Amino acid sequence: MAVKTIKTPAVIIGGGVAGLAAAIDLSRRGLSSLVVERGPRLGGRVADFCCKATDSCVRCGACRLADLVRRVAARPEIAIYTSAKPVAAEADGDGWRLTLEPQRNNGPAPVVELAGGPLPRRSQVQAGAVILAVGATPFDPSAKSRFGYRRVPGVVSALELEGALEHSLAELAGGRDPRRVAFIQCVGSRDESLGHLYCSRVCCGFALRMARVIQARRPGTEITFFHMDVQTYGRAWAGELAEMREQMNFVRAMPGEVTAGPGGPQVVYAAGGRSQTAEFDLVVLSQGMRPPVGAAALSQLFACTRTSDGFLGSDAEPVASGAAGVFIAGSARGPMSIVESIEHGAVAAAAAAGHLQPLVREAAHA
Amino acid sequence: MPEVSLIWIEEAGLEGLDPAKAAKKAGVALSDGGLVEAAVVTTTEARAPRSLVNRLKGYPVKWLDLAAEVGGGPLALRQARAAAAVARAAGSAALGTMAQRYTRQPNQEVLVAGRGLAAVAAAHQAAALGHPVLLALETTRARAACADEKPAEVKRALAGLPAQVEVVTGTELVELLGAGGDFQARLQGPRRTSRRRFGAVVLAPPSAYAVPGDMPATAEDITLPVSRLKPKQYQGGEQWLQAAVIAPLGPGATAHGFARAVTAALALQKRPRVQVTLFLGEAKVASEGGERLYRDARRQGVLAMRVEPGGLRVSRDGRKLSFDDPVLGEPVDLRPDLVVLSEEVTGRAPAWLDNPLVTTAWDQDLPDHPRLQAGRTARSGLYLIGGARGAAPGDPRRAQAAAAAADLHGLLSGEAVAVPAVRDVLCASCLTCVRVCPHGVVCYAEDHIAPAPAACLACGVCTAECPAEAIAPPGWSNREMIASLAAGLKAAAGDKLVLFACRNSGMDAARALSLAGHQWPKGLLMVPVNCAGRVGVQLILRALSLGAGGVLVAGCHQGNCRSLNGNLRAKLRSGEAADLLAQVGGRPEQVRFMHLASNQPRALAQAVAELAQTAGEK
Repeated sequence: MAVKTIKTPAVIIGGGVAGLAAAIDLSRRGLSSLVVERGPRLGGRVADFCCKATDSCVRCGACRLADLVRRVAARPEIAIYTSAKPVAAEADGDGWRLTLEPQRNNGPAPVVELAGGPLPRRSQVQAGAVILAVGATPFDPSAKSRFGYRRVPGVVSALELEGALEHSLAELAGGRDPRRVAFIQCVGSRDESLGHLYCSRVCCGFALRMARVIQARRPGTEITFFHMDVQTYGRAWAGELAEMREQMNFVRAMPGEVTAGPGGPQVVYAAGGRSQTAEFDLVVLSQGMRPPVGAAALSQLFACTRTSDGFLGSDAEPVASGAAGVFIAGSARGPMSIVESIEHGAVAAAAAAGHLQPLVREAAHA
Repeated sequence: MPEVSLIWIEEAGLEGLDPAKAAKKAGVALSDGGLVEAAVVTTTEARAPRSLVNRLKGYPVKWLDLAAEVGGGPLALRQARAAAAVARAAGSAALGTMAQRYTRQPNQEVLVAGRGLAAVAAAHQAAALGHPVLLALETTRARAACADEKPAEVKRALAGLPAQVEVVTGTELVELLGAGGDFQARLQGPRRTSRRRFGAVVLAPPSAYAVPGDMPATAEDITLPVSRLKPKQYQGGEQWLQAAVIAPLGPGATAHGFARAVTAALALQKRPRVQVTLFLGEAKVASEGGERLYRDARRQGVLAMRVEPGGLRVSRDGRKLSFDDPVLGEPVDLRPDLVVLSEEVTGRAPAWLDNPLVTTAWDQDLPDHPRLQAGRTARSGLYLIGGARGAAPGDPRRAQAAAAAADLHGLLSGEAVAVPAVRDVLCASCLTCVRVCPHGVVCYAEDHIAPAPAACLACGVCTAECPAEAIAPPGWSNREMIASLAAGLKAAAGDKLVLFACRNSGMDAARALSLAGHQWPKGLLMVPVNCAGRVGVQLILRALSLGAGGVLVAGCHQGNCRSLNGNLRAKLRSGEAADLLAQVGGRPEQVRFMHLASNQPRALAQAVAELAQTAGEK
């Protein structure tokens, strides 16, 4: 059977917010693209995030996904293949030749997608530029066994809390609605013992937004926030943080361990030079971001470099990859928020357009 | 009135429905593929086959996302809802609205005003996308860099500008009218003032480093800010030189400011016989490489000392710092030979933008608005980038410039919808539309209302608020919307309900529900609007008088509205309509407003179910 070759100016690996934003910006610049998504549906991790607004929008950006999908669908110059993965790539003149293979996805069938469809068969793609927008991988908290993840009942990851937030927290907390909730920050971030010498940037905001939702839903819920430093960024946060310090218990300490107690998980931590123990109904581990699972394979496939933290790309430049015609977008490059990923996608598109159009190329190098 | 035909496009979500039945019930003719006068197409323009889109160009066409409105459940129910949706769309199509095209071509010229790397990069990127650009530098070429930037970097960027960029120096933008496609700018040059028209305007106001106001006041002769520090000048002798570096302590501390303080501390610590104490409130390590840098500094011997807010006290002579050592648990004094104060990037929008008549709610809405990225402002075609937008020097500013250029290029090449139509015979020149337009589209010029050609997002706030029904984006006039309500409600079965759903939130949530097979109440009529702000009192009351037992308006959350406050206007108007109902002895709970996000389908389903219950309790 002859292998079909698709020719396109740019191919984008990853159909999350960064990849979709890159596709839209390329199309604004008059360039077609092909988005290749490994999973059965677009949106990447953002598709799992619910709205955290309480009395007003908290600017997490998760609602922007629907907007991006709609805009991608409205642009015929953007082609999309879901359930597809690059298995081979070679530099070919000024561009790249990729081999895509269909992926079997055993997860739940996607809700009908607005745009695109699964890759029907093994295909070849000839592209002038490649944008890698494969996202980051969440840290698995069981690698920090002292926090009791999967050992102590009532200890969950932040992403598990996210999954339950819109429904009920009772299932996470052993059947009752939790009244005492602790968040432990920096699980897998800022951790020299793991070699993770970076801050994951978004987890403080993520955890505090969820804490607010819990308090809004169940007023009187006690929230304890174990942290090293609060990494909230964005100008609107300063005032909100002051308010949250009043409503929640901020404890600057990294707990030593989490054990099973009679009434729920117990957190052991040091405060005022003494060891303290506090009991909770639910302990949430704010896991950090790790380089994408396939980072090693992808960097080999596309001969691209890794940052000092192991993400795709180079420390020196925001979207460059070290390989000609290959660009990095979104949290594959390093921890970033949803809104930042969308902007980063636009920057990667500008760089890719520069590679494809000599005039823009000058602009990027100036 | 033209006869409306139904063009049925089979797609996911429409399985099992009978097009002929839907057409008959809605009172339209099913198209046999031949010529039509006016049409309802059962898919969106984006998803329709290109050949069909081309064939229908110029005809009154209503693109109907039918799958989103039908939902799941028994076939009879879906069939009934399909008929109501088709009738609703046909209602306005029957009025024969032509898709309005631009009356004026948008001006393609771009003005970049200000200084610094962001300005130069934006000019370059916009030129690369084919726009003639005027780069109006407030300074000379030699001083084009902002105070927080490297002059050589900006000089290099300036030298590399292509020929389409005209550079003028010593020129300031002092007044700006209009919006995307047609801005009128007044530029104050060294010798004269000039007026010019532009399609888009990028502002890159100057930025600088400044020591935050909450820093301790140490003696002047031993104190200097990070930007003036030359580490090579310092070394200890017999006695070690004691240096104190004070990182940003207040709540506004940024990762960029913290990283600069740590860099300074590290450079000083590497000097011979220098001991650095770094005071910090929170270690803001969220910048790239921030954590690594902070660790290196401590490894090199920098003493990192956390202090609580107000925990760093200065003696009267400004030479002694007192603080509580958190490890020792007791007060400690330090008499530094050198105090280095960290700084934050500061920059602000030009003063003329603070005019609420020119720009709506600038300060409340600009920072971190999730829908105003790429330097966008609520005013279409106006961008604000650089330090004033919180971008750190270097790559972040280049990135913002590139994103803004792509965005304005999209706008000027036709991403915005057609201009609002103004019926001059009805217009009383009350200027309500000029005041309420969140995007600055509507201007008053030469005795009439003149909308800008590439700025309107068809939010419809002007239409909802205009007391004379004189202005509307094409397809969104009261006449058309009421016709579509009337036709849709007539065809709807059972207890009739109306859901006005914002396309940025409510409609996305509704679509997600429908495609997942959600069973909507039988008589629910969905009316998508580009912004909840389109829904004024009149539309709500009309929906009720046409037989709806309940009306729900679903807009975005506060602070999330693309049109800034369209959601709040809708909330206000829904409240007014409910009050009116109460006054005439009706039931105010028949009219409801809800804040919603696109990813909250369950909340929408619940609200609709509650409304149905209320409407049923007659």
